[in-house]
Amino acid sequence: MKEELAPHVSDITRALGGKVSEQEIEKELASYLNVYRVSLDTAKRSIVKKHGGNPAGLAVGINRTLRELVPGEQSVNLLVRLVSVNEKDVTPEGQGTKRILYGILSDPTATVPFTAWEPLNLPLARGDVVRVQNAYTKEYRGQVQVNFGTRTAVMREKPDALPEYKPAPGTGLPYLGKPTPVRIVDLREGASNVAVTARILSTDSREVEVDGAKKTVFSGVLADETGKTQFSAWKDFGLKEGEVVRIEGAYVKAWRGIPQLSFDDRATVTRLPGDAAPAAETLGGSPRMWVEDLAERGGGVDVTVRGILIDLREGSGLVYRCPECRRVLRKGACRIHGEVKGEPDLRVKGVLDDGSGALTAVFNRELTEILLEKTMDACIAEAKEAMSTDVVRDELSDILVAQPIEARGNVTSDDYGLMMIVDQAKLLRVDVQSEARQMLEELEGGAP
Amino acid sequence: MMREVAWRLFAGEYNDAKLEVSGGGERAPSFVVTPLGAKVNRVYVVGVITDVENVGTEMQPMWRARVADPTGTFHLYAGQYQPEAAAALSKLKPPVFGAIVGKSRTYTPDSGTVYTSIRPEAIKSVDGAIRDYWILEACRSLKARIEAMAEAQKMDPLTKEGLVQVGVKEALADGIVQAVNHYGKADLSRYTAMLAEALRYLLPENREQRAPEEAAAEEAAARPEEPPREPEGDKEETVLGVIEGLDKDGKGAPWDGILDAAKAKGVAREELEEAINGLLDKGLVYEPVLGRMKKI
Repeated sequence: MKEELAPHVSDITRALGGKVSEQEIEKELASYLNVYRVSLDTAKRSIVKKHGGNPAGLAVGINRTLRELVPGEQSVNLLVRLVSVNEKDVTPEGQGTKRILYGILSDPTATVPFTAWEPLNLPLARGDVVRVQNAYTKEYRGQVQVNFGTRTAVMREKPDALPEYKPAPGTGLPYLGKPTPVRIVDLREGASNVAVTARILSTDSREVEVDGAKKTVFSGVLADETGKTQFSAWKDFGLKEGEVVRIEGAYVKAWRGIPQLSFDDRATVTRLPGDAAPAAETLGGSPRMWVEDLAERGGGVDVTVRGILIDLREGSGLVYRCPECRRVLRKGACRIHGEVKGEPDLRVKGVLDDGSGALTAVFNRELTEILLEKTMDACIAEAKEAMSTDVVRDELSDILVAQPIEARGNVTSDDYGLMMIVDQAKLLRVDVQSEARQMLEELEGGAP
Repeated sequence: MMREVAWRLFAGEYNDAKLEVSGGGERAPSFVVTPLGAKVNRVYVVGVITDVENVGTEMQPMWRARVADPTGTFHLYAGQYQPEAAAALSKLKPPVFGAIVGKSRTYTPDSGTVYTSIRPEAIKSVDGAIRDYWILEACRSLKARIEAMAEAQKMDPLTKEGLVQVGVKEALADGIVQAVNHYGKADLSRYTAMLAEALRYLLPENREQRAPEEAAAEEAAARPEEPPREPEGDKEETVLGVIEGLDKDGKGAPWDGILDAAKAKGVAREELEEAINGLLDKGLVYEPVLGRMKKI
């Protein structure tokens, strides 16, 4: 024990610039480890901090196996094999573009994703066995991830320094503990090891390429009484439309802000009797949601919002699109393809505000024609006559602004807020008097 | 950056607000916090635009409009930085139903009183059905705040987290805590009465009790050519005398003073507002600053 700790004792002493004697450090370290039972990493950092030093000065990491790693470790040493390595250019906020490496590390205990944020002292290739010093760990989508930073050093080892990792069938890094039951409306990006009971409403499959290898993703839509979500299964669980299943050990990713259920070979799928979830016809409906709640979730699949269209945004009405890329032309020119002969389109981009929040609702040509009760060709003719497309926009504004509208569609989110691609829309007709009467009766305790 | 929500709230509640807070940080939006905890940066109002006037100069116009709802009057100001709203206001022929989206503003004269107003972003003339639906939405919104505030008054200590736990949305919970810290205990009976009044307003059996400018706006919505009806003359004369009498320092008569003096002369608040609107229309008085009236 003492010998194992010796490099760490001298590491601490060095980090403290020799202010404290090695004997004292040794005694303290033993006390942290044996009496207080904290991890070696924590112990080292605490001692340095306690004596007024900077823990970043610690250089000797702690040898670990991948399976032992937990999120938030500041300095770990690893002996690992690179299962895959890829390059990617990223542009962190406020900085220039830089090239990072990412991929998967393995040792005989587990595989873990990694990212190298800084240029490394030697090139890495798939299959290399390397010794990594001073890496750190974070949690990413419910999994531990290893990061290489400025202090991280990588040394190549002989390929036989580490036995091959032979994954047992169906093992990513396993989840710890029991899966948490979650209703679909409560799914949030980043959640992991969740359990969902739902009916499969539709299924689909597609081929994707992951690290150069073709893989099939089994996707579709599933629903419980609180809402719908898209799902992606990275293994064929044989899911069929109409079945009620309990999926345990799934995780949540987001696509354009909308939380989606994902699961792989770590998940178990149990078939339940057909009455364990509401019927498909019931679930097929679109739940009415407040914009406030959609904002908190980051979006939603096939939801209904009732609000007032309080304003039309720039680019509503008759627009012309680039025939190459479908971008809307500005002054007859496409941002990418320059001056082109635009193809006409009709749309509304409106601000739909329900009193709890606001989103941008995009109505396509078909819906806009219905709302206007006019075809696009008629709009083109009007615009020609007036020599401006403003007439169409003004007409839309007359018809739609200040109107209560019910809109149904998918809501996505990005830095600019929420956006609904509207599938169905109608002007709301509300019986104001009967609702007012009902509210008044409640208020006056039933008295007329 | 999420777009700020447009609150539906009555003039009666909005004009009670005396607290303005900043969201903190650079370019953070500011909010007017009402005694019920609505934390308002943007509003959506539908009411009767009773008068529109240029209180600026011909070169630099500043359009001022009053918008009446069943509980009180909103004040709108649109100048050169709100070109679309200003243009829309200048073309309106009151009385007319108007739908307004705008930003909350406060104004504090030397006396220290806080006046709320709206800086419109967009204005559109609408019909009575849209206005009635707005009243209903404003009622729902007011009801939710009354209920949340009632929960808050039961709580000791009052915390945002505690409110969220009993189902109050985070944005409102935040506003309620700030409101209670600033205003103390809100008089819920006042707002419950306001709610009942607004609801009754929507029911046909109470329709004849509607204010005259209301009926005129309804007529205007149906037949836009019709000229607005003339308000009564004698009340206006009384009020004009009051304004002149109170204007001791040449800066105009303060609103509170006018209200008290008019009451003493038997002019009720609604009649007073109507009379002042009439005087404004005729160009006999103007509002040199918000909350003060001056004889021309």
